[in-house]
Amino acid sequence: MRSAVLSLNSIAISLGFAVLAGTASAQDVVKLGEIEAQTGSLNTYGWMSSQGMRMAVDEINKAGGFQVGGKTYKLQLVNPDTQGNPQQALIQLKKMLEEDKIKYVFGPFLTNIYKGIEGYGKQHNGEFLLMGGATQIHYELGKPGNDYLMRTWNWDAGDSGFGTLMVDYLKKKGAKKVAMLMQNDAFGHVAADIYREAFKKAGIDFQENWFEPNTKDYSAVLAKIAAEKPDYLFPGYTDAVLYDIVQQATQLGLTKFWLVRGSLGPALKNKDYIDDYVAYIPKYFEEAQNTEPKVKKFIDDYKAYYKTKDFPYDQAPLCSSSCYDHVYMLVEAMKRAGTVDDIAKVKKALQSFTYDGLWKIRFDATGEEVFNFDIVDVQKGGKITVTHEQPK
Amino acid sequence: MLQLVVGQLLNGVIVGTLYAIIALGVTLTFGITGIVNFALGAFMMLGAYITWSLTDAAGIAYPLAVPLAVLCVAALGLVVDQLLFRFTRNNLINGLIVSIGLISVIVAVVLMIWTTTPQNMHYVLPGIFRVGGVIVPKMKAVVFVVLLCVILFTYAALTRTWAGRAAYAYAQNPEAAALMGVHTRVLQAGVAAYSAGLAGLGGALYASLYSITPEIGSGYILKGVEGAILAGIGTVMGSFAGGIIIGVAEGIGSIFFPSAYNDAYGLVFLVLILLFKPAGLFAPQR
Repeated sequence: MRSAVLSLNSIAISLGFAVLAGTASAQDVVKLGEIEAQTGSLNTYGWMSSQGMRMAVDEINKAGGFQVGGKTYKLQLVNPDTQGNPQQALIQLKKMLEEDKIKYVFGPFLTNIYKGIEGYGKQHNGEFLLMGGATQIHYELGKPGNDYLMRTWNWDAGDSGFGTLMVDYLKKKGAKKVAMLMQNDAFGHVAADIYREAFKKAGIDFQENWFEPNTKDYSAVLAKIAAEKPDYLFPGYTDAVLYDIVQQATQLGLTKFWLVRGSLGPALKNKDYIDDYVAYIPKYFEEAQNTEPKVKKFIDDYKAYYKTKDFPYDQAPLCSSSCYDHVYMLVEAMKRAGTVDDIAKVKKALQSFTYDGLWKIRFDATGEEVFNFDIVDVQKGGKITVTHEQPK
Repeated sequence: MLQLVVGQLLNGVIVGTLYAIIALGVTLTFGITGIVNFALGAFMMLGAYITWSLTDAAGIAYPLAVPLAVLCVAALGLVVDQLLFRFTRNNLINGLIVSIGLISVIVAVVLMIWTTTPQNMHYVLPGIFRVGGVIVPKMKAVVFVVLLCVILFTYAALTRTWAGRAAYAYAQNPEAAALMGVHTRVLQAGVAAYSAGLAGLGGALYASLYSITPEIGSGYILKGVEGAILAGIGTVMGSFAGGIIIGVAEGIGSIFFPSAYNDAYGLVFLVLILLFKPAGLFAPQR
């Protein structure tokens, strides 16, 4: 009997140690969540972010982790694929917060995803930090109950907004009339609201045209636009539609494009048919790899990590939102705040410094990111001119 | 304005032939098997992906990739007909449920193989024809000619060959056709495979014009069914006309009305036609 009691005590003590050891182990890991579209027609906004985050987490862990308050922590990344589906994203976020107890979530880049998780996020205000590039987040920053939000992309409007600088660039090229052809969805209307004002201020005539999000043949609306003879076409915001639009537009004689979201891919595929393609590119990696050692190292590391000879030059600029730099920046903020758990302190620390990584990144007082970017101008035959911008 | 309208009329006709090829598949399948096969849209999508894989991934020339893709999709159509649709003959509801289930399976397989990331094929035939200010992309013209030839060939085969006349006879009176020596099972399986092949051809040609995503089939099967109903299910040349009417309604509608509701214009036309001709535009009125 006595030996049985002793055995039970031993088991209980062992279990106790095991639980304590488990707790200690859990405290040494900082879990990061990510809700982005890694596949799907909207994956332009998400795929590169997820690629970069994986790399940063791996690098930090391989370097032995990071120290906060004399304790060494490692990172654990939870990044399921939303496929651009708001319902999926909501389920994934719930799991992150309720089961995985994650306090730092990166993404989403897409406004439709943000709208899908917004209500749930608000309910958990103060329990986690959501760092996403979605345009709609801009409108929520600073509002009561939205302390959990930070926006990880340049804002379009305002004196130092990238969109304003892009419109100025177009004005200098002598554009008098711009025709927008945009998806009839949440972000499409946000874009129209922003750029209607920006073009009006610049004295450029702005025409609005819409298409259903699943459209493939744009001939009818493009023919209507072509009849109005705009100087530039301002097409949709994802590569999934841009390839079709640019190809079909050039066939109808619309050969000048100006866009604030989307890659250079459609321009390069149609380089013999376009006259001008002006795009907001957070960083033109093809040029930067020759002038910025950090960019060169990132490209080499990417190839080694993903065991590939190809670097995704067209997608890499979107690593400017909730991506590689942001993981390092968050770690730096935790070190400065002296805590990995106090969300408010970490957020305050994030807003207190400029991070010098692939980009020079800082957060303004509202929690919105400001970073340097490039305006890339592709002309007929593929000749490229890059203008570097540093917003104030 | 006239130039714009004429341009969109032409574009509507060309885009409409893509709807028509699906409408033709729908009408043939329904006439012979009694099933409205919604999976034809998924077969079309599969045809587009197979063509893209054969050309851009495997490096096979496009003119060779198209028939290969058509054969693959037709073979798949035959397999699923024998495994699934054979048991739902002349049972509209069961056939519909099986076809919807099949769509889910095909889309899931496509997602596994090609993911949901849009794919863009290299330009097969770049450039445009310009006639009096009206612009027609060369590839669209080729697609139109190929589809028109296939539709005319189908019509000729149905009206000028024994097998075609047997199919017509079976569609009108299955028992009488069987008594006259028509091999019912062979005929039904052949039509199922041919319809799938037509959808595969539509997809293979589609891939040369637009980017490919797993959801393209859902849009095209709806337009195909719209075209078939508008024409009156059972008429081959009517399906052709039905598809074109839908395409033209969308093209012209987008000029005079907001382009954001492009898909609605064909539907409005369909409702208007059915109000006055409930059996369809070209079907014999009862």
